[in-house]
Amino acid sequence: MFALVLSFVPSLASADEESLAAWAQRRVEEGLVKPLAGLEANRFSRARPSPRERRVRVVDTTATLDKAGKSFVPFAIDVRFGSEWHENDIVGCIYAGSGDLFVKRGDAYRPASFLLGKNVEPVGGVCEAGRPPS
Amino acid sequence: MLVGAAFITASSLAYFDFDTLPAFVVEKLPVRFESLWLASLRVHVAAALLAFPLCLLLTTRSLQRRIVWHRRLGRIGGVLVLVALVPSGIVLAFDAKGGGVVTAGFLVSAAIIAWFMVRGVLAARRHDVVSHRRAMRHVVGQMSVAVISRALLVGLDALGVDPDLAYVVALWGPVLASAAVVELVSLQSFGSIPSAATLMERIRRALSSLAPVVRARSVVRPLARLGR
Repeated sequence: MFALVLSFVPSLASADEESLAAWAQRRVEEGLVKPLAGLEANRFSRARPSPRERRVRVVDTTATLDKAGKSFVPFAIDVRFGSEWHENDIVGCIYAGSGDLFVKRGDAYRPASFLLGKNVEPVGGVCEAGRPPS
Repeated sequence: MLVGAAFITASSLAYFDFDTLPAFVVEKLPVRFESLWLASLRVHVAAALLAFPLCLLLTTRSLQRRIVWHRRLGRIGGVLVLVALVPSGIVLAFDAKGGGVVTAGFLVSAAIIAWFMVRGVLAARRHDVVSHRRAMRHVVGQMSVAVISRALLVGLDALGVDPDLAYVVALWGPVLASAAVVELVSLQSFGSIPSAATLMERIRRALSSLAPVVRARSVVRPLARLGR
């Protein structure tokens, strides 16, 4: 009986990881990919044209703790203009509790609303793994 | 070209909404000197929105016939280009996306505009219309890069060309092509064969200016012979 219960443990863990990754993916698609697609029209400007397609990759299926002890999941968005995919066009992280999205610009992370045109400042310490407990 | 300028104006109004960041700015940030870059961008856009349509108007026959207005508006255009458009464009060029190749492209275009604007003004001051026209064609030609380049970007995107490559092609292509076309047009208009009527008019003017000389000689020569 005990062996039977143990045999289920890895599969339960796998299901948890999968659900976290699936949740993160859905949240990034709804919170960032869809608004970006809605924002972009055919513009007569020097801004980069909108990609044909975007795909979300959850980089790590397990959550990481930042310096404040909050857990986050890193993600990347790849884009396709012609036939080729450009990886890591956007990189960022999503916080497991709040669902807050951050994206990397330069060396810092800003709230993802920056990509939607909000003038928001970088936030220190987010999306960076804290020291493991000694 | 005016339609293109109107499209650019419509899409550039977002640069003056200080609460939101346009896509082009979002794409560029962070830059080294953010305040300087943003100020230069706004100055450049505002100057271009005024200078480009103004320069296009100055190329029209109706305004060229009104010499006083042509001169006044030309001065405004010249100041806008030399004081605002070119300096701000040079600042922006150093942070252009696409790296050194694109920076060089913008700097070449800025140099052509500044050089020929100064040459054009000097030519106008000495009433050298041919040189003035050639110089100003170069200025307008390089300004038209803004429209042609954006149209090319739309076209190359429709063809699925990589945006980084498209950006370089859509900049250098129009910069070089505009300079070449202006030189060709200037050469053609300089070396063109005049019509028969124009030739007759030129001959008549030449003869009429020679007439007093001929008449004077016809009087002086017999007198000179008498004196011998």
